Amino acid sequence: MQGQKLELAIDSIRLRYGSQALTRAGELPPPQPWASGTPIDSLTGIGGLPRGRLTLFTGTGTCGKLTLALALLAKASQEFAHAIVIDGGGFDLSALLPFSCELGALTVVRAPAPEIAGEAAASLVRAGAGFLLLLRDVPQHWLGPLESGASRSGTVVVGVVEAPDRALAHASSFSLGFSRQEWVWERGLLVGLRVSARCVKNRVAPPLGGTELVIRYPLGTQTPADLRQGITEVPLHVEEEEGRPRKSAAV
Amino acid sequence: MVAASEETLPFGVAPGMAMRHAEHFCPQATFVLPDEEATARIRELIAAVFYDLAPVVEVREEGIAWIDVRGVVRPGESIREMRRRLLKAIGREPRLGLAPGPFSARLAAARARPGRLLQVGDARAFLSPLPSRELPLDAEQLERLDLLGLRTLAAVAAIGPSELESQLGRDGRHAVLLARGDEPDQLEPWKPPMFTSAHRQFGEAVADRAALLFVARALCADLADELGLRGAGAKHLRVRLVVESGEPEQRESIVRHPLSSTAELFGLVSAWIKEWQPRAPITELWIELPVLEGAGRRQVRLWTGGDGNSEEVAAAMERLQERFGDEVIWKPARSARGA
Repeated sequence: MQGQKLELAIDSIRLRYGSQALTRAGELPPPQPWASGTPIDSLTGIGGLPRGRLTLFTGTGTCGKLTLALALLAKASQEFAHAIVIDGGGFDLSALLPFSCELGALTVVRAPAPEIAGEAAASLVRAGAGFLLLLRDVPQHWLGPLESGASRSGTVVVGVVEAPDRALAHASSFSLGFSRQEWVWERGLLVGLRVSARCVKNRVAPPLGGTELVIRYPLGTQTPADLRQGITEVPLHVEEEEGRPRKSAAV
Repeated sequence: MVAASEETLPFGVAPGMAMRHAEHFCPQATFVLPDEEATARIRELIAAVFYDLAPVVEVREEGIAWIDVRGVVRPGESIREMRRRLLKAIGREPRLGLAPGPFSARLAAARARPGRLLQVGDARAFLSPLPSRELPLDAEQLERLDLLGLRTLAAVAAIGPSELESQLGRDGRHAVLLARGDEPDQLEPWKPPMFTSAHRQFGEAVADRAALLFVARALCADLADELGLRGAGAKHLRVRLVVESGEPEQRESIVRHPLSSTAELFGLVSAWIKEWQPRAPITELWIELPVLEGAGRRQVRLWTGGDGNSEEVAAAMERLQERFGDEVIWKPARSARGA
């Protein structure tokens, strides 16, 4: 009975204000993907990082999340007019340079306080920046404007945090948890690390479990293509767990 | 009498008539003395509303507006939109006329039903049966036409321009050309003033910052709409707070990149309001744009593949620098060039 009344109310709203006035969440189109060219794309379920949504890379210690984020930033700087870093003081440009970043498109916002970071992120996203990398925490009251601004402008927002607070975790649409498996050594040199990347939240498509990545640190002169190739995915096999197909990595 | 409302017309009241006559025809009518300031304001409002419908727009104070649809790709859409906007602005269905020139279009509109368009193909044929009193002549000249037996526009059109010029002077020649449908007059294009403002007066003085921000956003949206219609951007922004006691407080800034959207305007205004410490509750909020730049409005997502308006992002960065200092924004490319 209640269902019928609800259907009737929905129909009358659509009749009066048009078919687009009210849309079921399940019928909403998925966000447009931005293909980063990394194996992360396959984990989102839409073929790229979601535009207009907040993506989070989380994980404690050295687990490759920042290296991956810098690779994405470099790629974004070549594709967008504005690739922006919101930095709390730990951003090192020299770490980005091996990724062949297009410096003309790069802007670093030095935000000594979370409040400044929040305001800067919200206003730049609202203005239509193409890519925004959050390297510091943002106060809870700025997350709403950040989300709505990104949704309007289609900005790709990537946050890198060790452990997100509840508000940030709630605001994100796609979260990947990173954990280091082992270091990769070649001829006595540390050349990278093997990490496990697990999808801990996905609001843009059905969750696709996790994968294992080998992140090779950029060394010497390399092309961007080389560097994107430097982040490789270990072949996957699908196994059943608790009755649901799940992707996991097998080494 | 300059103008008459729709309800008085069936009684025989018509614009141009003497007050005494109008009172005689329609004694129950309310007569309002002209308010020049209010008339000018409405005239500006209507002109601004039409500004993007056609290249040339003219609004007369006697309640007549023209748009020149020559060269407009879809004139029908412009006319429909004109009707819709007028209805929204004045709350009444306008009478619409489409004709080869302003004179015949005005007469066609006067004869259309409210909300309908009367289209005139052949101006001379349409004008012929109409009374010569429709010509823009003064009372004495009209009297003279009557004495000459020229009671219809067809009769006026039939005589030579120089003949009527000898009777009425230059106005006589002009009247003949009008009656023939030659349309000697051109529209005077309305040009938007290069200054605009929006304000809100509060019934009770406001001391709540959130309420002030709410009102400021609405005012910024109104200004952005107006800028959009004019195709302009603001180069200078000023916010004035009128407080309960004492002098008004104000803050202003010249911006390098013209502001034109709600987000841009409110971005700067909200930043000011958030840190403003007024001495007393606020009774009035003014947002003024003293310097506008023509064609300052930018087309979003025009050139870059991925992201939006480069200038809007640059403007947002400038606002951040203004609030938090220049060092908050660092462009590595500039540093690299400097090195």
